[in-house]
Amino acid sequence: MSIRSGYFKKYLYVNLTDGSIEFRNLPDTFLEKYVGGRGFGAKLVWDNLRNHDFKIDPLGEENLIVVAPGPLTGVYLPSSGKTSFIAISPATGLYGDSSIGGGFGVELRQSGIDALSITGKAPEMSVLFIDNNQSTIIPIPELKGKTSLEAEGIIRERLNTHTAHIATIGPAGENLVKFACVNTDWGRNAGRTGFGAIMGSKNLKAIVVRGHYDLPVDDINSMMAEANKAYSYLKEHKYFRMWQQEGLMNVIEYANEKGILPAYNFKDSVFARHDQINGAKMLEEYKIGDSACFSCSMCCSNICLVKNGKYAGTVVEGPEYESCAMLGPNVGIDNFAAVLAANRLCDELGLDTISAGNLIGAVIEGYEKGIISLADLDGRDITWGDDDAILDLTRMIAERKGIGDIIADGPRRIVKKWPEMDKLILEVKGLEQSAYDSRAGSSMALAYATSDIGAHHTRAWTIAREMEEGQAWSDEERVETVIYHQTLRPLFDMLGVCRLPWIELGLNERHYEYFYKHVTGNQLTLEQLLALSNDIYDLTRLINVRLGVSRKDDSLPYKVYASPPLTGPNAGKVVDKEHFQTLLSMYYRRRGWDEDGMPPADTEKKFDD
Amino acid sequence: MSKKLTVIPEQCSGCRICELVCAIHHFGVNNPKKSAIRIINTYPHPVMRMPVVCSQCKVPACAQVCPTNALRWVEGIVYLDKENCVSCFKCLEACPFGAIYAHEDCDLPIKCDMCGGDPECVKNCPLGALRLMPEYALGETKRLNNVLSYTQMREIEFYEKGEKKTIRYAEIGKEEL
Repeated sequence: MSIRSGYFKKYLYVNLTDGSIEFRNLPDTFLEKYVGGRGFGAKLVWDNLRNHDFKIDPLGEENLIVVAPGPLTGVYLPSSGKTSFIAISPATGLYGDSSIGGGFGVELRQSGIDALSITGKAPEMSVLFIDNNQSTIIPIPELKGKTSLEAEGIIRERLNTHTAHIATIGPAGENLVKFACVNTDWGRNAGRTGFGAIMGSKNLKAIVVRGHYDLPVDDINSMMAEANKAYSYLKEHKYFRMWQQEGLMNVIEYANEKGILPAYNFKDSVFARHDQINGAKMLEEYKIGDSACFSCSMCCSNICLVKNGKYAGTVVEGPEYESCAMLGPNVGIDNFAAVLAANRLCDELGLDTISAGNLIGAVIEGYEKGIISLADLDGRDITWGDDDAILDLTRMIAERKGIGDIIADGPRRIVKKWPEMDKLILEVKGLEQSAYDSRAGSSMALAYATSDIGAHHTRAWTIAREMEEGQAWSDEERVETVIYHQTLRPLFDMLGVCRLPWIELGLNERHYEYFYKHVTGNQLTLEQLLALSNDIYDLTRLINVRLGVSRKDDSLPYKVYASPPLTGPNAGKVVDKEHFQTLLSMYYRRRGWDEDGMPPADTEKKFDD
Repeated sequence: MSKKLTVIPEQCSGCRICELVCAIHHFGVNNPKKSAIRIINTYPHPVMRMPVVCSQCKVPACAQVCPTNALRWVEGIVYLDKENCVSCFKCLEACPFGAIYAHEDCDLPIKCDMCGGDPECVKNCPLGALRLMPEYALGETKRLNNVLSYTQMREIEFYEKGEKKTIRYAEIGKEEL
């Protein structure tokens, strides 16, 4: 079998330095091997690294940023609106990727390309406008300093387009904050690993896409039939309606009950006033509408409005679980209106809510413990739940003012300045940990430690299974589950679809075998697709290894070993250091890597062509 | 009895499944830009996701400007006669809702034909934002909501089996007429 359809078989290569824009062909062998999304990105980033002798400054001209939807993006099947951003991350200096939902990737594909890659640096603040097969780089210097949302409004007016999808950065991206994000569709973000800063370093304020081509599908009737089966399954699921209503906000209650909700910079893993910031509270007082990604019937996102009080008038797409947990309990905020205000502020400034919440929590704890002085904070007192001070600090980070200038450079810079902060900040490989406490389960700790982008749950989310299985769960099963997640979840990122129908509502992953077949005409079993995804995991490992990563970097933050949650069902629990090292060795062996976490010597050859 | 395709924008999530099924049903291609229904997003203020689709007007502005009489209202549906259409697209400009569309690949305007009476978009909308309603029922919800929001209504709270409930009533004769 071969690739019959599903691709435009070309990608756009943009060099902002000399303004050149060209289409480059993607041969069938490439499409078959790398599938799309993160697969394309990892390969293009790998090639770029080799061309630069593995010396790339993430914020230098030479860093290549790849935006890649997958062959299923935009196709009629549940939740096909995903696209990935891939580059060498300024947050970690290693492989980085982040995916967004909404409609940006669909529009990008409809402009007739399978991926977009951008390198170089524009002489002044510019916008890349992809209008079907016409692309132009338009300098718009007045966008400088504008927030993500303002910029989107200005661009719509300037380019006279209501229907285009626009990815923008805010002031944080322009100021090269290491955890700046890219904002699309007024509030959907490629949040993690600092893509806002990369765009900022390239003087690229926005990518505007408008496209109207048919998306290639090999057998639309079979596709339709298979998709309808999947849609019906979801519709019949007992939690489907709950997902439509509360969306990801329902996880707050679950996480609190299970004791995995970060509170007060992970000092605790339950939050006393969780009922003030949970899904029920949102439905009762704040939600004004549903919001869905392209072709998604689950519509897990919400639109919220604060109707009274000092934040009245704040409207935001979200929050979802992560934003709410990190900007709420983790910094001690128990007022949902303040969480919404913080989320909106992060959207406008172009800051990742997870990293911001994580680092602000750490700074508050550092100040509480006397590691950070009042003078360091420019005389501005800050404490748990002090929303005014927290919002101010958020602004200071984006504008790099005072202590914000240090926080903006990420956890490792903070530790350099205040070495004792090492014990308070939860990060792996320089990426701040997201909002699932791993002390409750060693499999989640393993997932964070071995994730290719750092401490993020995107690659593996095993905490729910760990909670179900409890202590009796064998180490073999733990490792197996982490690896299965790290293979299947990235496969979704390669295909350009969302993982939530599978992980949350149990949609059978076998469907994706048929989706892939009906779209591309290429018949691969799920196992074969998973093998391709596994190869990409080897590739991203290889990238990281060549950039200096080894076993010592697959490590856990101090708190996970030494500082247990104070209360709740997991009070007193930490991850045992030796047990973790045993798991890690098992993990390496199972992946075919050596004791130091190195893939076999011949792995590189696999990615030569 | 003719039925109307009704839009309830408050319930729309903007997922665009309606666009996809419309295009697949009519053109056999996966292209939301070839559908006769589109969701218009407005954000941040006012937040609205509005599916825009033909209302099948009984006095169709599109038909009035059509130079070849290619558009005609027959039993609740404004049909486009492909033989007579000259693709001048005057109908696009004339429609007060902008509910007729065009695409480079398509010779003719893209206009909702209600799938012959059983619209795909209505069947596939996951949130019930698109509905097929008999004409006599149009506006019922609005009327009811309007009545319920009548400003002179009073509200009292009470508990029934431990559950908080409210009841509303009108204080008759207390207001000056």
